[in-house]
Amino acid sequence: MNSTPPPTGTGTARGYRAGPSAWWTLPALAFFVVFALIPLAGVAVLSLMAWDGLSAPHWTGLRNWTRVLADPVTGHAALLSLKIIVLSWLVQTPLSLFLGIFTAGRQRYRNVLAVLYFVPLLFSSAAVAIAFKAILDPNFGISRAVGWSFLSRDWLGDPQLVLATVVFVIAWQFIPFHTLLYQAGVRQIPASLYEASMIDGAGPVQQFRWITLPQLRYTLVTSSTLMVVGSLTYFDVVFVLTGGGPGYSTRLLPLDMYLTGFSANDMGGASVLAAILVVAGLLVAVGFTRFSGFNRMQSQQEGL
Amino acid sequence: MNRSFRRRSAVASIVTALAVVAGVAGCGSSGPGSSGGADSATAWILTGPTEATFRASFDAWNKAHPDEQIKVQSFENDAYKQKVRSAVGAGQAPTLIFGWAGGILKSYVDAGAVDDLTGSIGSDTTGHFLPSVTKVGQIGDKLYAVPNNGVKPAVIYYNKELFQRIGAQPPTTWDQLLQLVPRFKAANIAPITVSGQDKWPLLMWEEYLVDRIGGPDVMRRVLANTPDAWSDPAFIKANTMIQQLVDAGGFVNGFSSISTKTGADVALLYTGKAAMNLNLPSAYQTIQTGDPSFLSGGKLGYLPFPAVAGGKGDVKNVVGNPSNYWSVSAKASQQQKKIALDYLRGGLTTDAYTDALLKIGLVPPTTGVQAKLASASDAPYLTTIYDSAQQAPSFQLSWDQALSPAQGDALLTNLQQVFLKQITPTQFSANMNKTLGS
Amino acid sequence: MLDLDTQPSTSTDLPVEPTGTTAVRRYRGNVPGAVGGLVWLAIVIVPIYFIVVTSFRRQAGFFAGNPLALPTDPTLDNYAAVIQHDFVRYVANSVIVTAAAVAATLAVSLLAAYTVVRGTGRMVRLTFSVFLLGLAIPLHATIIPLYYLITRLRLYDSLLGLILPSVAFAIPVTVLILVNFLRDVPQELFESMRMDGASEWQTLIRLALPLVRPALVTVAIYDGLNAWNGFLFPLILTQSESRRVLPLSLWAFQGEFTVQIPGVLAAVVLSTLPMVVLYVLGRRYLVSGLTAGFSR
Repeated sequence: MNSTPPPTGTGTARGYRAGPSAWWTLPALAFFVVFALIPLAGVAVLSLMAWDGLSAPHWTGLRNWTRVLADPVTGHAALLSLKIIVLSWLVQTPLSLFLGIFTAGRQRYRNVLAVLYFVPLLFSSAAVAIAFKAILDPNFGISRAVGWSFLSRDWLGDPQLVLATVVFVIAWQFIPFHTLLYQAGVRQIPASLYEASMIDGAGPVQQFRWITLPQLRYTLVTSSTLMVVGSLTYFDVVFVLTGGGPGYSTRLLPLDMYLTGFSANDMGGASVLAAILVVAGLLVAVGFTRFSGFNRMQSQQEGL
Repeated sequence: MNRSFRRRSAVASIVTALAVVAGVAGCGSSGPGSSGGADSATAWILTGPTEATFRASFDAWNKAHPDEQIKVQSFENDAYKQKVRSAVGAGQAPTLIFGWAGGILKSYVDAGAVDDLTGSIGSDTTGHFLPSVTKVGQIGDKLYAVPNNGVKPAVIYYNKELFQRIGAQPPTTWDQLLQLVPRFKAANIAPITVSGQDKWPLLMWEEYLVDRIGGPDVMRRVLANTPDAWSDPAFIKANTMIQQLVDAGGFVNGFSSISTKTGADVALLYTGKAAMNLNLPSAYQTIQTGDPSFLSGGKLGYLPFPAVAGGKGDVKNVVGNPSNYWSVSAKASQQQKKIALDYLRGGLTTDAYTDALLKIGLVPPTTGVQAKLASASDAPYLTTIYDSAQQAPSFQLSWDQALSPAQGDALLTNLQQVFLKQITPTQFSANMNKTLGS
Repeated sequence: MLDLDTQPSTSTDLPVEPTGTTAVRRYRGNVPGAVGGLVWLAIVIVPIYFIVVTSFRRQAGFFAGNPLALPTDPTLDNYAAVIQHDFVRYVANSVIVTAAAVAATLAVSLLAAYTVVRGTGRMVRLTFSVFLLGLAIPLHATIIPLYYLITRLRLYDSLLGLILPSVAFAIPVTVLILVNFLRDVPQELFESMRMDGASEWQTLIRLALPLVRPALVTVAIYDGLNAWNGFLFPLILTQSESRRVLPLSLWAFQGEFTVQIPGVLAAVVLSTLPMVVLYVLGRRYLVSGLTAGFSR
């Protein structure tokens, strides 16, 4: 994190001890240390131990690491997580961008649609997954309503289709959120830009290309960051929807970790997978913060 | 100076916070897990068709023993298997631990999580049950678990109407079964329904085929962790046959997304969309709740798993769950243990309990129950199930329960991949050999 | 609702009436756009319609009829069954966990954020960096040690055992949003108040708190949603029915309603009702809460 030091005395009365004492951060820090940082250290420690969840853990050194890293299931899970991240981004971003621009319009019907588009966000992940399980049932689901055979597929049971299905369900749930981001972004674009371009005779396509997209640059980075970091930790939707199946087809890293730990009772191996997740999350987040300026240590208005 | 003082004190306070946590952590692992009041015992049961019977038994017990209360809580099957382990590990296990015996029970015994019942449960209790069923609750020569549920051998349930529609007889050999597949498909009927999403229903196909081909010894070698035990030709052949059946379209479209949780697999059978279902007797219970007229109309047929030409296994051998079992948590308080043991001695062997199991279409795992079966509402069915369990030369416990948790988990997933043709029989054997000894 | 007069608007609410301050809208109908919008509407609405309609169906004919037709004899039995299944208790548990987690998160995060903005010294900056780092840690990854820690603290299967880690994981993003907001308050305001002799504590309560209230509402909704919908913590850290929260109860209902898709979907509808009510009553707050701090 490349933080710049805050400005010191700018002529105002700094004779007072400026600001509260560092102690004020202690309650938040204590919470965070005990329930986030200590478990984080625990991941590293447990990854070096054998623990079946019943008896006391005991040291095994690096044996878990060699075993888990050599296991093809791990590589498969990592690749799958990557696929989900890429596919989710490719599906959600264009759609959210379109819907964001669409709902930024002031026509009344678009306002009504915007209200309806929002509804999937009201469901919890568990609710979404359970509902789609019923909807997608090849024999008793929604496909019976319309005689379209292409809907009556084994959406959750066919290894070829299940990934697309999971990406769709996740998109169904989260596109409304990203739509809101883009909508807010579009509404902040100064109208004068469009007026000027109209005078220059630009059509809607050119306006989109030369005004809307560049102006949404930061929204795009923010939305993408949230999407990617979110994709790393998709657990509940996939867990309830497929349980990681069929076979290993949707066994993403977080799911692999859960099942290794709580179903196969190999807590040491699961901790290795957890460590991999932590490192991946850190890499992604640090990479993105370089862009997004989340780590500005000072307000934009200072130092002007 | 001011600044450095503040930094040091902040560091000190973090260290203090850590020390406090470590201190609390150090002294928090002893003492009984009190779950559910000071002196009432607790029991967890599974949701589904048998839930009401268990509840009724505990309700009757609680009414008759106001000073020995047992609190009951129910869990969905898969959720239970994951939760109970966490609970045992956290020292918060229910007093009465519901289980399948086998590898999981052994891991509890190894961890000292369940009590040895040999001294406290006498032969007046164990003698009430079929010897073969009681034996499953023993590890070595000690008793750790007492039967509590119906006998559950897996059989093939079939829809008689659909067989009549295509003019076919129920299959007694594997070849006959294969020949039926195209005929059902031509009539727009799915030959076999199975819930592949839950994985364990697929296992019954594997268990039966391996048994019919190579006999029960094949699996005994796996359970004994013999090196390369999974490479036995019986496994290769069974998995090859399964994939042939899949290729022929034997299983209903989308079988791998059908879940037992919604009962959709059995619903396909009684709604006339699928002809056969290899399942535990819980399938019968699902039909009872889903469409009782299917039973009263005499549309349900059932038959043993067909023979495989040239196979070594006796066609009378069965696989499934001999019963379910109660164990007593070692972490429970003395009072809780006393209640639990009193219930095991007095609550399970009553006529009311036996009758309740019969009423929901289950066969009690008890000796001398034939007369009751004969007078029950669906006598031919219940007698068939009882006889198939009692007369079986070998009654194999479901493999996912017999093996250790890690092995069982890998087995179910690899088998699902065999059914989905994601791996070959040879790969299955290689993958499973790696789990031996874990 | 989030803007002070001193900065460009970052408002994220959806005014129902156009205010005419934004881009020119071309009032010739955008046909492809409208078609696309309606297609997406169908994708959103059809599943929801299926959920709602199925929840009013009788179990008996469920596997036979057309799943999208209106039920011929709608029934409330499924809802009655769900409510009898201790549903009210699960809602209460969810409310307790959410309210307690949000209150604790806001209190400690406001203190920390105020200190980060107003305080000086390396310690404060280090703390902020630690929180920023916390943003990048995938929450699920620490669940196994957390399970171990919670069992050792004797908090397994208690609501407190859910609340504490929820607070810890909500702190980073909450602090960050509050810091970003407080930074945009002209520092002279704080300094002049301090020069008038107010203590730092009074400055926080009398000046910062009113200023930051809109941001507090926003992050409260954001954190509240996360706590309300959390699935993994309850899945692993609780076991009793008496400690069950809503998302977990849905998962549990799957087994309790074997062969009962209508029953399960009735539970889905009921579990979503509180959010629907919130949406109807305070749409602007909910929308801005959801996109807290991400619209800059």
